[in-house]
Amino acid sequence: MASSTPQQVTVAQDPVIRFRGVCKAFGPKVIYAGLDLDVLPGETLTIIGGSGVGKSVMLKLLLGLLNIDQGSITAFGEEVTAMNAAALARLRQRIAMLFQGGALFDSMTVADNIKYPLLEQSWGDAAKIEARVGEVLEMVGLPGVEHLYPAEISGGMRKRVGLARAIAVGPEVILYDEPTTGLDPINIRRINGLIRHLQARMGVTSIVVTHDMDSAFTVADRFAMVRDQGIAYMGTLKETERCEIPWVRDFVVGGRGMLDE
Amino acid sequence: MSGQTSSLTDNALMRFVGHLGAISLLSLRTLRALFKRPFELSALTDQLDKAGIGSLSVTFLTAIFTGMVMALQFSVGLEAYGASLYTGKLVSLGIVRELGPVLTALLVGGRVASGITAELGSMAVTEQIDAIHCLGADPVKKLVLPRVLACTIALPLLTMVADIVGCVGGMIVVMQEVGITVRFFWEQVIDTIRISDLMHGLGKSVFFGYAIAIIGCYMGTHTKGGTAGVGRATTETVVYVSVTVLVSDWLLTNLFMAIYG
Repeated sequence: MASSTPQQVTVAQDPVIRFRGVCKAFGPKVIYAGLDLDVLPGETLTIIGGSGVGKSVMLKLLLGLLNIDQGSITAFGEEVTAMNAAALARLRQRIAMLFQGGALFDSMTVADNIKYPLLEQSWGDAAKIEARVGEVLEMVGLPGVEHLYPAEISGGMRKRVGLARAIAVGPEVILYDEPTTGLDPINIRRINGLIRHLQARMGVTSIVVTHDMDSAFTVADRFAMVRDQGIAYMGTLKETERCEIPWVRDFVVGGRGMLDE
Repeated sequence: MSGQTSSLTDNALMRFVGHLGAISLLSLRTLRALFKRPFELSALTDQLDKAGIGSLSVTFLTAIFTGMVMALQFSVGLEAYGASLYTGKLVSLGIVRELGPVLTALLVGGRVASGITAELGSMAVTEQIDAIHCLGADPVKKLVLPRVLACTIALPLLTMVADIVGCVGGMIVVMQEVGITVRFFWEQVIDTIRISDLMHGLGKSVFFGYAIAIIGCYMGTHTKGGTAGVGRATTETVVYVSVTVLVSDWLLTNLFMAIYG
C-alpha cells in the first residue's frame, strides 16, 4: 500500500540516514518546512519531484555543505548538524556524491581527479592507487582515458569519470544528483547497472535524485517525492507503479516514455 | 522618499559589514590552514609563478613610464625655482614611498584578483568547490592559502622591482632634461631614501598583497548564478580591490608616518 506521508511507512531496520523536522530557507524562499525521511541500509532510495523543490539541497544538507535552519539530520547514528570540520571530513569519506555535472577539477587529468580522494584519504601506496584508478574507470566503461583533461572529454564522459571518482574510495553511501541526465541510452543503462551492481555486490546504500523516470524505475527500491516543502509521498517500487494519487501519477507517468505509449 | 534612501543605505551598510565579517572569517581560516600539514609547496610555487612572474611585465611598464612622467613634470616645475637638480630626490622619494606600492597594487591587483575570482568562481558554479569538501579536503587549504601566501610574498618583491625601474625611468628623463650624470642621480637617490622610506612602501605592499588575494578568493568562492555570476563577481572584485588599495593606502600612510615619521 502506497503511503501519502512518510510517517505511515513501517521501518523495520535502523535507518542509516535520518532527517527529522528539517527546515531550510534561502532568504524568503522556504525549501523545507519539516522534512522527515529515513534511508535504510543497502537500499536505493530515489528522490523525485519538480524542478527547484530542493532535491539537490537535501543531498547537500546531508553532507553538511549547507546548514539547516532547524531540525536534525543523523548519519550512521551521529548528528550531522553538530559535527565539526574533522568529523564532517570523516563522514564524507563514508558518503560520496556524484554531482550533476561531474564537478571534475579542470586543471587535473582524469587520473589525477580520481586519485584526489585516494591521496587525501591515504588510501594506499602509489601502485595500489594507480591500479584502483584503472579499475574504477573500467567499471564506468572508460578505460584508457587517464591522461585526458576534463575539457577533452564529453559531458557524459565527465559524469562517468565523476562517478568513478565517487566510488574510488569504496563509500558506504553514494548520493547521485541526476546521474543519467545528458547520457545516451547505452550509458544510461551502464550507469543504472552500476548503481544496482554497487548495491548488490557491495551493499552500498544509494540516494538517487532524478527526473529520469525510466532510470528511477530501474534502480529504485523505494521512491520519495518532494512536494509542499517536505516528503509528500513515499512508497516502494510496486506501490509507486500502482499509485493512484493524482500528482504522483502525473509525475511518474509524465516522466515515463513507455507509459505514454 | 527619504525613507527609501535610508533603507537603501542601511542595506548597503549591512552588505558591507557582512562582506567584512565574512572576509575576516576567511582570513582566520586561512591562518589556521597555514599550520595544517602537509604544506602544499607545489601549489604555492604555481601561484607565485602566476601572480609574481606573470605580473613582471605590467609592473615594469607601469613603473618605467610613471618614473619618466614624474621626472618630466618635476624637472619643469622645479626649473622655475632653479631647483631642477633636485628632481631625482623628489622622483625617488615619491616612487619608493607612494607610487611604487600603490600603482603596482592597483595594476597587479586588478590582474591577479580578477584572475583568482574568475578561476574560483568558475569552480564554485560548477560545484568543484563542493566536490573538494566531499572528497575529504579543505578548499581553504587547497585554494585560498596558496593564493594568499603567493600574493603576500609577490607584491613586496614586485614593488621593489617597480621602485628600481621607476627610478631608472626617472633617471633617463632627468639626464636628458636637466643634464645630470648617472652617478649624480644615484647619489641623490641614496642620499634621500632612508630605510624607513623603504619600509614605508614595502610594508604597505605586504598588506596590499594580502588584501588583493583574500578579496579575490572571497568573491570567487562566494560566486553564484552561473557564468553570468562569474562575470559579475570578477568585475566587482576589480572595483573592491581598487577601493581597498586606495582607502587602506591613506590609513597605512598615516600609520607608517606615525611610526617612522
